[in-house]
This record gives sequence, structure tokens and C-alpha cells, in this order.
Amino acid sequence: MVEPSLVLYGALYERALDLLEDTLRETGARYALLIDRKGFVLAHKEALWAPKPPPLDSLATLVAGNAAATQALAKLLGEARFQEVVHQGERMGLYVDEAGEHALLVLVFDEGAPLGKVKLYGKRAAEGLAGIAQEALAHPPKLTLDTEYREGVNALLGELFGN
Amino acid sequence: MSTINFANREINFKIVYYGPGLSGKTTNLKWVYSKIPEGRKGEMVSLATEDERTLFFDFLPLDLGEVKGFKTRFHLYTVPGQVFYNASRKLILRGVDGIVFVADSAPNRLRANAESMRNMRENLAEYGLRVEDLPVVLQVNKRDLPDALPVEMVQAVVDPEGRFPVFEAVATEGKGVFETLREVSRLVLARVGST
Repeated sequence: MVEPSLVLYGALYERALDLLEDTLRETGARYALLIDRKGFVLAHKEALWAPKPPPLDSLATLVAGNAAATQALAKLLGEARFQEVVHQGERMGLYVDEAGEHALLVLVFDEGAPLGKVKLYGKRAAEGLAGIAQEALAHPPKLTLDTEYREGVNALLGELFGN
Repeated sequence: MSTINFANREINFKIVYYGPGLSGKTTNLKWVYSKIPEGRKGEMVSLATEDERTLFFDFLPLDLGEVKGFKTRFHLYTVPGQVFYNASRKLILRGVDGIVFVADSAPNRLRANAESMRNMRENLAEYGLRVEDLPVVLQVNKRDLPDALPVEMVQAVVDPEGRFPVFEAVATEGKGVFETLREVSRLVLARVGST
């Protein structure tokens, strides 16, 4: 199966952002992200009170890698998948849940956020986001990347790497 | 399949460096990282063992800049080359847009090159992909070895039909590193918009 491209924009993107924002408020978590299974960030929100997050690309890549490994583990054990995963450190914690087949919800929280709330509202948000991801897949936008785009990127590549 | 994020107006591509153990995949990424100016690159993430063998992957995001209102980004990954890490190697191929196959010029690694290519075919097949369907560039690395095999010999084992563009490299000195990346990027882009 070729991985379908998950694309979020317009109204769906706004809905995803709203959901992430609500989830931050309900759980007291610091950061909320929707990422695809390849490790690309599709949407993210930060609580206003929270300090600057770590590099989100790194976070998303590591979470996606971890989720892929966890799913492979589940398959070894005869399960299709494990559902949610919580990593809990002394102060910081990470909640990861599937938002459908192709995306993941990630919540980063500290000791100020009760784990019960993170799990309860995290689960609900993941379900909502799964619906959004499903809709995004069902109605992929028409892409108008043309030769002009290609030439533009090629010029940038030349500038960066030399020809 | 590239990931397009319309909301942030971003287009993301995933490029994976494949090849046998110790062929120089991580060295390629480290060179790129060391030469790309700040602001054009993100953090490099390496999941490696204490002796710096890649355990899961290395990751390096590159920002090319904005074209027609879209930020274009390349995510570079390496896989662990050692034979017994296949489970994690397979995971990293998920959603790949283009591949750099880093082959080793050492005579005693010729067979390892061939095995790694076969392994790549098998792993891609599990995602329903054929090597022929993807942009692949062959980098014959370690050309500075005194007993380096002729490029043609390495190519004959890895790509007997001569399908992939070939670049000679000495990744430790940066030779051929950007040329390889430039070519795979070009091939990946050539597929954008043509569908």
C-alpha cells in the first residue's frame, strides 16, 4: 500500500486547530500536535503560558518513529496495534494516541496536568481528529504545482547545494 | 508521496539514505549538516549506539525556502545498515519520496552492497513499492580507499541494468555529497506536478 498523502487545509485545518486548542485547555497540557505517520507536523498548538517547545520536527519524527516501532511490536504479539501510549518522566509526560490510521495526536504535559484528564480528553480529541483526517483523505485538494514551482525549487537547490 | 500542508503552506519531501553497514550514510548527513547555513536546517537527530553506529535513524530537516508561496522542506533520514536491524530499517522507508543508496567501495563489502539492495527491494515491496517506481541515486562511496573497486564493478552488483544515476563520493571529505543530494532532489521534484 502506498502511503496516501494526508493534507490539511482550510476548514478542516481550522477544525483541527480548534480541537487542539480545546484539548490544551481541558487537559492543562503544554503542547498539542497532530502529526502524520511519516513524522510531518500537520497542525500544532501551544498553550500561551508554556515555555518555548523543543524543535517540533524532532519531536514529531521521534514520536512517529516510536509509534511505528510500537505498532511493529504489537504485531509481533499478535495485536493489530496498541492504542494510546503514555511516557511519564519525573516532570514531563507525553501522551500519544492514534487519530485514525494515518495520523497521531501528541500531547506534551507537565506535572500541572492531571494524567486522568490528559487521557480522558486526549482520547476524545483523538477521535475527533480521526474524523477530520478521514475527511481530509476523502477530499484531497487539487494540487496546482506546476513547472514554475519545480523550476523555483530547482533554483533554490542550486543555490544551496551548488550545481 | 510528498506531504503538503496547505494551512502552513508547506511541502515536505522524505529522502532516505540506504545501504550496508558502515557505508557512510550518517557521514553524508553530517557533512550536509555541517555545511548548510543556520536558518536553512533544523536540529539533527541521531539515534545511535555508544560507538556511533546508527541504531534507529538519523534525521535532518532542510529548509529550501519559499517557492510560489509554499515553504519547501526536505527531511533526510538514514537507516541502520547492519543486517539484524531490518525491522527498524523497514519502518523508516514508510512514505519515502526518494532514495540515496550509499554503496561501499571496499572489495570485502561488495557482497554486502548487493544484499542491502536486495533487502531494500524486499522492504519496499511490503509498502507496495518497486525500486523502479522511485527516484533512486547510487552513490559509490569511499573512493579514497587504496583498494577501492572500480565504480563499474560496484554498479554491476547493485544496479546491473544501470538504471540509477551514479555519483562517486568521499563522504568524509564531502566529495560527491551535495552532488548526490542535488540529483535525488531533482528527481523527486520532477515527479511533483507531473501527476
